[in-house]
Amino acid sequence: MTRGAVLRRVGQAVLVLWLAYTGAYVLLAALPGDAVMARFGNPDLGLTPEQLEQIRASYGVDRPLVVRYFESIGAFLSGDLGYSVQSGAAVSDLLAEALPSTLTLAALALAGAVFLAVVIAFTAAYGKGEWLRRLFRNLPPLFVSVPVFWIGIVLIQVFSFQLGLIPVIGASEAQALILPALTLTIPIAAPLAQVFLRSIDEVREQPFVSVVKARGASTSWLLWRNVAPNALLPVLTMAGLLFGELVGGAIITEAVFGRTGIGSLTVQAVAHRDTPVLLAVVVIATVVYVTINLIVDLLYPVLDPRLRQARGGARPGGAAGAPDPAPAADPAAGEVSAPGEAPAPADPDPGAVPPARSTPDRHRPSGAQR
Amino acid sequence: MKKRRIAWIGALAAVAIAMTGCSSSGGNDGGADGGGTLTYLEPQTWNTLYPPAGGFYPNGGVLNQITDRVLYQNPETLELEPWIAEELPQVNADATEYTFTLREGVTYSDGTPLDAENVVKNFDLFGKGDSDRALSVSEAINNYDRGEAVDERTVKFFFTAPSPGFAQAVSTINSGLLSNATLDRTNEEFGPGNAAEIVGSGPFVIDDEKIGTELSLAAREDYDWAPPSLEHQGAPQIDGVDFIVAGEASVRVGTVTSGQADVARTIPAPDEAQFAADGLELIAASTNGVNNSLSFRFAHPLLQDIRVRQALIAGIDREEIVDTLFSESYPLATGILAKTALGYTDTSQNYVYDPDRAEQLLDEAGWAPGSDGIREKDGEKLVLTFNEALPQPRSKEVVTLIQEQLGEIGVGVELFAGDQAAQDAARLELDTIQVYHSMVGRADFDVIKSQFHSANRNALLNLDPATNELHDAELDALLAQIASVPTTEERQQASAAAQQHLADQAYVLPLFEEPQVFGLRSQVEGFKTESIGRPSFYEVTLQR
Repeated sequence: MTRGAVLRRVGQAVLVLWLAYTGAYVLLAALPGDAVMARFGNPDLGLTPEQLEQIRASYGVDRPLVVRYFESIGAFLSGDLGYSVQSGAAVSDLLAEALPSTLTLAALALAGAVFLAVVIAFTAAYGKGEWLRRLFRNLPPLFVSVPVFWIGIVLIQVFSFQLGLIPVIGASEAQALILPALTLTIPIAAPLAQVFLRSIDEVREQPFVSVVKARGASTSWLLWRNVAPNALLPVLTMAGLLFGELVGGAIITEAVFGRTGIGSLTVQAVAHRDTPVLLAVVVIATVVYVTINLIVDLLYPVLDPRLRQARGGARPGGAAGAPDPAPAADPAAGEVSAPGEAPAPADPDPGAVPPARSTPDRHRPSGAQR
Repeated sequence: MKKRRIAWIGALAAVAIAMTGCSSSGGNDGGADGGGTLTYLEPQTWNTLYPPAGGFYPNGGVLNQITDRVLYQNPETLELEPWIAEELPQVNADATEYTFTLREGVTYSDGTPLDAENVVKNFDLFGKGDSDRALSVSEAINNYDRGEAVDERTVKFFFTAPSPGFAQAVSTINSGLLSNATLDRTNEEFGPGNAAEIVGSGPFVIDDEKIGTELSLAAREDYDWAPPSLEHQGAPQIDGVDFIVAGEASVRVGTVTSGQADVARTIPAPDEAQFAADGLELIAASTNGVNNSLSFRFAHPLLQDIRVRQALIAGIDREEIVDTLFSESYPLATGILAKTALGYTDTSQNYVYDPDRAEQLLDEAGWAPGSDGIREKDGEKLVLTFNEALPQPRSKEVVTLIQEQLGEIGVGVELFAGDQAAQDAARLELDTIQVYHSMVGRADFDVIKSQFHSANRNALLNLDPATNELHDAELDALLAQIASVPTTEERQQASAAAQQHLADQAYVLPLFEEPQVFGLRSQVEGFKTESIGRPSFYEVTLQR
């Protein structure tokens, strides 16, 4: 990337961040009630409207929205995340408590989802027997349509209450992760498997595959050396979307399993109109989202030779330009083939339209909040 | 290639097996020396441990274990009995002065003594609040002026006007006694993240907290000042209680029925049958207050005509609601107060289901059926908006069933959807909510005043906050009377008069007596609830 391109990227990221922040702020303010009402307006406290007014004034929420908005932006820029109105705890403390648990859950679920997606896609493409392939082909749509909370409840019922394998209460750290991770794995694996399967199907149709086959490549060679790398690209494109799935799924999963985490923190923050907490979560989510997309964009040329630029060559700028079709050597081409095995072809057909792929400068709608 | 993949799969499987195969320590196996730790499941997490905010059940459930009160209210008889006070208070003739004599030797878990100075400090805060620290006044304490420590064991309280409910008020969770240092905290410092620093003198002490999910209470070994009327004295017989938040009802039910937890609060009516099995029990504790009811906000143009309100009452089939949606734990209401509540009067003849009469009343009031079946008058449709009472059981289903029933007589019903914060904001707007679904648990004559008086919960919006206009001054006067006459007989009469007024004016429709339903394993013995259905673990033993 040239320096200009890097600067443009950073600028875009900051803009996305600011838009997400403002959007969350405005939406939360638009909901009926505010943090002070949420905390003190409960009839159980039996406070009179005058007493409520006093408390509102002491929190400063009776001032105009614009003033409070700029104040919060200022505080954010100086690194002060503020305090939760609901509990009075420092937002940084709440995040420190919630982040590790959610990250562990998300990482496990993602790993599980990739594994499951690969298994489903390969079985659906190369499984033994027509019925098996058909069965696995229909798994992703099924997985996508099953509600996450329902999966969670069923898993608890079966594995914990019926079979007694995993306690829900008093479980060790590892045990407490199994069911939530499984719950979160299924909805994430579904789109992954679907995209992966689709691109395997498309790559298999490519002429070079027939060539490789003709040269005596085994199915597994074909799969690992030729089909998989080419099918990986669209899967990678999904990474940003998957992150959104992860956040959304974590919210529900953490609620069902009563886990501490960013998900349950978000739910609480929205329910209590707890602006400082919610904004911190939004900023974190946006930063991660932007970062993931940046990494994906940078990885594209590494994975797809057709996207590499000739050195010093002008790069098609911000508009969705066609990828530079200068064919370069496929990374697999450098491998020395073992005797008896067919060497891999050096070149995915450059004439064919690349399968289901967006261009490097993708403009996605921003905001990871679903 | 193939080998490597198989190795991977094998490794993954091994990890999975190792993880599930870990020996589980349920954390509640009764040891030889201790009585074990009880696991208690709550549907919601607590949000503050400031006692006057104990009306929110999750808060009260914790406060009831960690704080003592000056007096003890017997949950069976609702009589007041000594506790931290050696005897019942001396009260002057017009109930403006109370004198308590305190027990000796009571200490807080931080070692400081519970003496007269400290009790005064407690009630000066609970009775007056402190807006600088955003600490509210206790709803249970009326007309508080000041407290005075006469000597180390004698406390006097003075009131600006008769305050006959004070003796009962000091027995509630909202008057849980706290150490001097704890009383200096701000509102934030009573919130989540500070639990272990909230110091009471109760039988349990908070020793660990995971914000939003768990709270561990440990028994206090040197506890020796339980209410004298209790059979058990001294330290609790269990080692402690783990409060665990499980928002999902099916998870709470399954966790207890599968033996992974001991007690769960809020068992939904449809799941009650599961606790009929061997080794399980169900306890439905009365909340002894204002029943689960609808308040018709009579200041709204659509509800100003008493005939419309009477028609709504006659058009709603309460028995169908209770039979369809609930169980035997939810008795049909016979008045605005529960049968066991102080001051209860039977007004059930005002709440008879009679759809024909309902139609007739609406005809008389000039509401004629429109083209879409909803009645109209002067071009306006008779459509009312109900709130969804989120803390109450199955409120949405109740309103949906009512929508169906009132549809039969040509009245439209809409449900105000929204979370708790939205509901709390909407509750004060006459144009948003015309029929308010709610209840209040409190075992005192004052409970009806709390619910309907314009200066308290104002459920009928008798006082419109927007216009500051009082619509039914007589109602307010009747309610205020309950909290200002000194003797029990007089309070009884005042309460009956207020209930009669509510019934005659067709302001309310009581639906059922809302219980607190706990599901528990039979191994849990001695589980009780206090006077409004909050759990009490002091006398519990675990048989393993």
